[in-house]
Amino acid sequence: MSRFFRLYGKKRGHRMTGWWLAGRVGEAFWFAAICVLGVLSLSTMLVWQVLSPNTHAYGVGYGFWLLVLISSSFIGIGAVGFFYRVLSAAYSDEHRSALASKSIVEHGKSATNLISLPPMVPNLQPFTDSPGVRLAFRLPGNRPETRELVLGSLFVLAWNALTVFCSVLALGKLFSRQPDWFLILFILPLFFFIGFRVTRWFFLAFRRATGIGPTTIEIDDLPLTIGEMYRLNLVQYGRLVVKKLSIALVCEEVATYHFGTDTRTERQEVYRRPVLEQGRCRIDWGRPLELVCEFCLPDDAMHSFQSPHNAVAWKFVVEGEANRWPSYCRSFPVVVYPRGPKMNRRAALS
Amino acid sequence: MIQLLGFQPGYMPGDELVFQYKLVSIDPTAILAIEASVVWFTEGKGNEDLGVHFFQRLTREAITDRDFSQPQLISTLLPESPISYEGRLLKIRWCIRVRLYLNDGTDLVAQEPFYLGTVTKEL
Repeated sequence: MSRFFRLYGKKRGHRMTGWWLAGRVGEAFWFAAICVLGVLSLSTMLVWQVLSPNTHAYGVGYGFWLLVLISSSFIGIGAVGFFYRVLSAAYSDEHRSALASKSIVEHGKSATNLISLPPMVPNLQPFTDSPGVRLAFRLPGNRPETRELVLGSLFVLAWNALTVFCSVLALGKLFSRQPDWFLILFILPLFFFIGFRVTRWFFLAFRRATGIGPTTIEIDDLPLTIGEMYRLNLVQYGRLVVKKLSIALVCEEVATYHFGTDTRTERQEVYRRPVLEQGRCRIDWGRPLELVCEFCLPDDAMHSFQSPHNAVAWKFVVEGEANRWPSYCRSFPVVVYPRGPKMNRRAALS
Repeated sequence: MIQLLGFQPGYMPGDELVFQYKLVSIDPTAILAIEASVVWFTEGKGNEDLGVHFFQRLTREAITDRDFSQPQLISTLLPESPISYEGRLLKIRWCIRVRLYLNDGTDLVAQEPFYLGTVTKEL
């Protein structure tokens, strides 16, 4: 009997022992039960509330609405889970993917391939939004320190507001001759010390982020196509002495995977080609550093690729070292198209 | 059995992929449905992604009209992307997949890999 009824399965690499359909059906029943439970509890509460509000255990208030919310979430989770399990049991991976992409070829009809843009290549629209001053397009920059600065400033504001609130509270109690010595001697000094440190950190980070001026990159054509030559224009603003400035064309692979209950993303640089290097020079307000160069994408390069869990991403990386400033690194993502008719590239831009 | 009708299992984007499949040692009355597809899928560290370029499903009614001991010819134009790729974290593979659904609730899968494009190694 144990051949036919196995209570548990084992994971063997990517597959499970046992009959996969039994597991899917079991999961579908589980989610259906959750959905039914949600429907029953919600309908019971609503009907009871409408027909006999006096005998209802929860009057219309926080408790009632909390139960409505919990029951509704049961219905939602159960319905979505049930639908997904039934879909995965009834259809193969290919069929589901084809349904999603609406590319089913009906029986008796020939396959049609009316593809105007390369599939699985990132959308070009965000890259062509900004026209350039010197060349056709200005690339959007990615400065990780900006997000750090914004989040840091929010934390500094919240912490200092909390410190001020505690100080007012302590002063109020002190003036009313009921001093809270624990708050005054232990809590407030700790809050002031942390507040001082994070405020100092914030101003240093702000000075670092704004002291080295913005970097812009413009390019004469988009999207980039493998094997073609392009012109690039870099402008570095600010007031500093640059020891070294370099631009590199970088390709990296990005993989997102589940590790237990976590979702992790790993990046691996697979290609780096220096495009331009600049030695020591001085930059002043109103006299930015301007560099022009040409580059060509290698013939054997992989095009940009974006799927739900994997990606091949291209970008320009600007790395600089300046006197009295920490070294900095700014990246400018680009999209690389596979070789194809020019018409497709134009269609992407329109 | 799946057979590619090209000299090499390598194609360029825009090429016509012509293949045929036939059923050997399977009773056609035991088949519930047949799905023939041209798919790409990822392998590597990230979760697997799959995309379908061509998909054809034959139900029982359509199966009874055909003789599956004879090769079933299918052709499709290959897309521009994604091309086959072998990277460090990520690999993109293309294949022809034929899936048979049998009356007893099980399914049988046969697949034939091929290359799209010329970038099949990491850079």
